[in-house]
Amino acid sequence: MRRAFSSILLLGLSSFATAVFQDEVDDIDFHHSLFGVPQAETTFFHRPRKDDKASLLYTLGDVGVFGAVNPSNGEIVWRHQISTDTTIGGGHFRAPEDEDWVAAAHGSTVQAWNALTGRNSWHTNFAGDVKDLEILEVTETGRKDVLALFDEDGVTVLRRLHGKLGTVVWEFRQQNKDIPLQVSTNIANIYVISLHGSPSSYSLKITSLDTLTGSRVNDWTVGTKGEVHGPQDVMFVGANSAAPLLAWTDSSLSKLNVHVLGTKGKQEIALGAETTGVVIHAPHLTQSLPHFLVHTKTATGGKGEVYHTNLKNGQISRAYELPHLKGENAFSTSSEGANVYFTRITGDEILIVSSESPAVLQRWPLAPSSHIKARHAVSEVIKKPGGEEFAIRSAVTTVSDDWTLVRNGNADWSRPEGLSGSVGAVWAELPETESLAKALEEEAHTNPLSAYIHRVKRHINDLKYLPAWLQSIPTRLIDSLSGEAHRDTSLHRDSFGFNKVVVLATRRGRVYGLSTANAGKVIWSANVFPQLQGQSFELKGLVANGGESSVVTLQGSKGEIADINAITGEVLRVVASGSTIESTATIQGENGVWLLALDPSGKPVGEFPNGVVPKETIVVRGEGEVIKGVRFEAGEDGATAQQTEVWQLQLLPGQRIVEVAVRPSHDPVASIGRVLGDRNVNYKYLNTNTIVVAVLSDADSVLSIRLVDTVSGQILASQSYDGVDGSKGVSCVISENWYTCSFFGQYLLNDGSGQTIKGYQITSTDLYESSAPNDRGPLGDSANFSSLNPVDSPSQAPLPFVVSQGFVAIQPLTSLSVTQTRQGITGRQVLAYMPESHAVVGIPRQALDPRRPVGRDPNAAEQEAEGLMKYWPSLEIDPRSIVSHERDVIGINNIVAAPAIVESTTLVVAYGVDVFGTRVAPSGVFDILGKGFNKFTLILTVLALFGGVIFLAPMVRRSQINRQWGE
Amino acid sequence: MRLEAACLLAFIASALAADLTLYLPSKPNPWSLPPSTRATLDSLGEHYAAPISSLNTFVFKNVSAPGSYLVDIHCATDTFKPLRVDIAADGKVDAWETFRGNDWANRGEAIPVQDGGAVEARFLIKKNYFQERPKFSVLTILKNPMILMGLVSMGIFIGMPKIMENMDPEMKAEFEARQAEGPLSALMGGGASRDQGSFDMAGYLAGSNKEDGNGGKKSQGVRR
Repeated sequence: MRRAFSSILLLGLSSFATAVFQDEVDDIDFHHSLFGVPQAETTFFHRPRKDDKASLLYTLGDVGVFGAVNPSNGEIVWRHQISTDTTIGGGHFRAPEDEDWVAAAHGSTVQAWNALTGRNSWHTNFAGDVKDLEILEVTETGRKDVLALFDEDGVTVLRRLHGKLGTVVWEFRQQNKDIPLQVSTNIANIYVISLHGSPSSYSLKITSLDTLTGSRVNDWTVGTKGEVHGPQDVMFVGANSAAPLLAWTDSSLSKLNVHVLGTKGKQEIALGAETTGVVIHAPHLTQSLPHFLVHTKTATGGKGEVYHTNLKNGQISRAYELPHLKGENAFSTSSEGANVYFTRITGDEILIVSSESPAVLQRWPLAPSSHIKARHAVSEVIKKPGGEEFAIRSAVTTVSDDWTLVRNGNADWSRPEGLSGSVGAVWAELPETESLAKALEEEAHTNPLSAYIHRVKRHINDLKYLPAWLQSIPTRLIDSLSGEAHRDTSLHRDSFGFNKVVVLATRRGRVYGLSTANAGKVIWSANVFPQLQGQSFELKGLVANGGESSVVTLQGSKGEIADINAITGEVLRVVASGSTIESTATIQGENGVWLLALDPSGKPVGEFPNGVVPKETIVVRGEGEVIKGVRFEAGEDGATAQQTEVWQLQLLPGQRIVEVAVRPSHDPVASIGRVLGDRNVNYKYLNTNTIVVAVLSDADSVLSIRLVDTVSGQILASQSYDGVDGSKGVSCVISENWYTCSFFGQYLLNDGSGQTIKGYQITSTDLYESSAPNDRGPLGDSANFSSLNPVDSPSQAPLPFVVSQGFVAIQPLTSLSVTQTRQGITGRQVLAYMPESHAVVGIPRQALDPRRPVGRDPNAAEQEAEGLMKYWPSLEIDPRSIVSHERDVIGINNIVAAPAIVESTTLVVAYGVDVFGTRVAPSGVFDILGKGFNKFTLILTVLALFGGVIFLAPMVRRSQINRQWGE
Repeated sequence: MRLEAACLLAFIASALAADLTLYLPSKPNPWSLPPSTRATLDSLGEHYAAPISSLNTFVFKNVSAPGSYLVDIHCATDTFKPLRVDIAADGKVDAWETFRGNDWANRGEAIPVQDGGAVEARFLIKKNYFQERPKFSVLTILKNPMILMGLVSMGIFIGMPKIMENMDPEMKAEFEARQAEGPLSALMGGGASRDQGSFDMAGYLAGSNKEDGNGGKKSQGVRR
């Protein structure tokens, strides 16, 4: 009990961190909570309550986040990640009609969730991979069940799961080498569709099962004449409708083969000559009419053809055609009772037709300003009571990866879902305003007379702004007093340096610019490296160059290079060289920073700009588990460079590198020493050429954390930890004279106490020049030293004195990073993502200080000089140190910090699935008057004093006169 | 739900697995917890996570046994105590409170385990993410010692003449006589009885003993 109490006490104690004020939320931070780009087959409208007409919009995006969105305002009702990691497409998401739950599946898990609250109903795991998920709408009990089709190493397994409990009702196994594709139901049967045969000549095999027992009723195959080469070639629509369809095209896209489930054979539909793609849309309700629409895409536009299926003989017949229209076309199906409506969204209008006749039921023009280019859409069509009027809501996934809701032709809201799955981010400076400084500089360079005339002219010119300025005074005064700060959303530098642009590259090859000046809104996006279906853009390097025009350079793994203007999003250069890039090094050149691309063998790709060969030693992660330092020397012809390997860090067999931490590019040190409580000074070991390498040996679970000199390759310090779980991730950060690592550890303490520790840990290490205070070690005050000197020489590279300490953290901490301020005077915070609580935390360095006294309270001098607290093995994380506060931030892979102009503040952006940005002030905002500064009180006090003086002055005068007379 | 593939394989191989259910206490109101609330089970090489269910439980299925697990509940609004759950090879579940940063064998209070391996979670504290902004109130201004001093002296300044007027003549005369001796008259009276009321600060600091000359009569008034 006592311990529990003291941990509560510690919760209070550790509150020296500055927290977020509630009124600053959305002002200093922004958060894009995302699903990923919605997939056509996993997006739908669904009514979460049977007796309520209101429906929610559900989706499973291509990064594996699924959930519900309020269709009226685009806000998230709930969302979850379908898997621990970010997925690349895939997954299944279905909702039973008139039920309050939804089912999702991915990998080996099947889950059911309450559609309204987002609480889990059940979740279950099976061997094998889920290939399809379907709802069994009509059962013998009136309950709705889930059908999950698995591929267990070549064995096709269909399981019927209890809709309320998730237990297996029956299981169907088929021991053959078929590739399971789909499961479907109609009123009578369950159909399992699989590919039968060899990749050169697959045929479709359809097995029908009994709903009640899951036993095989019948099976048949449909020949494809070698037109189907894999699961991706088969289209499947109308899963639960009266007549589910299977369709595939031939390789030349000249005809579409359609097979109606439950019938024999196939039927052909001829396609136009210019067809580039075919999509089929069909209703998925049993009561809906068996009609479907074939959307034929051409290079310039698309058209739709509506077909009717005769339920008696399974024959399809063309009913009518929707004419070919230029531009992006998207069709969607919605059904109301037996009626089926097809919605067509083009660049300038939305129209609905009934599946029965080509007459347009209603059309709505789209505002040209909305720029909707639909890729695919889902729609909800409602016939207004009593009239011929319709209401329509369409959730459109656009070509630019946005998710927009169009209601009766008006764009209601738009979510930048393409921002998800970001693989890199960089802070770009805004260009300096064409400023007074420039004008003054101009004047300084001319002769005094003309400078004077220029100045007078300038002032006269400035006068025209005076009336507007005078007019703005009252509003500014009122705004300032009422605390409603006027926000300048223009892309200009502000005096605090808070306005910057975050350039984010996503795995879809799209690059985004977000401005912190207007709450993290997307200011531009460009599809710089378009990716083919199923491929991802791998970012290898991303740097920003400041100056007059901010240019961001990206380097991809396939040799793609692009330069983008960070302010306008203009793509200045795109080069695709095709050579494989393994890594890049950021080189500080004469004209700013540039990226040196290296191939897998560590050789530079391409030529050096201006023929300048970097002098630095470049650390390369070689093939296999090796890290090496290489240098370049200009070759004889000046253009090609000779590469010399300086050192190699080789690992023992069975060891692997789990993390390499490098210093942030901006890492100023304000003080070279640390003043101790007794007024002595410990000098910091400040070697900028150091990296931290974490090496894990999987066999005995030993983690070794090594500080490596990048010039000589020497290991300067190392710590080893037992019982470290590599599967839970290791993350490190290095800055100034310290480094920190976090991991999961379970081991016996080696202090002889026989205690075991289990939990997530964070270790912290300080480096000093020598163990004795006031001593700078063997190097003394010498201005420089060489890491390459022999270790036993008097001017040897001294090994640092190491102080290290470990803490047990309450949660895993990943993506460690550190705050950066302009001068480095402000204290630092270790930024980390907590994947279990979906939060970004800023842990003050003081809390991780390895000098925290163990077993005793710090004395007053230590507290005052070093800010030390008593060591406590558990590191409780105060909720107030969570910089993302109440926000639910999912799937963060990296955190990038950048300094502002004011010393107190760091700009932080965390990205991955979501994008979260904020401003962090590790020592409080000591150089800004924040919202807490009460101007009203100040004015009131001044007025009160003035009133007091007015009131007292006559009294004092009177009393003085009286006294004079009295005497 | 999020069973690591390795754990899954281990489960198939050994088939020694148990189910564990964690249920929430009645306080805080379990229905008010956000749907992102989840519980995790950790041990070396093992990791399980379960989302909050519609029944306010966390269900872990096929947890490999035997094992000793650290149980954490991650919730955006509330903090729960970490627990230690041991699952024996026969599926028997034992649960205790555990203390972070302490010996794993150092267990706290044992938590009763219901049939079917259900364990009640322990609530610790509500989370508060935000810093309170000091609110403006007249009272805080009045509490300021400078303001208080100003108010008191203002009261004396305004009130004193009134009191003087209402005093009976005898007392007034006495008071005036007293005041004439006091140090205040030196300041107010503009030079009257200067030699009597003056306090020789330089002399005092130099250590000269005034009492020798004045018989210690007036020093009462100047000892501030």
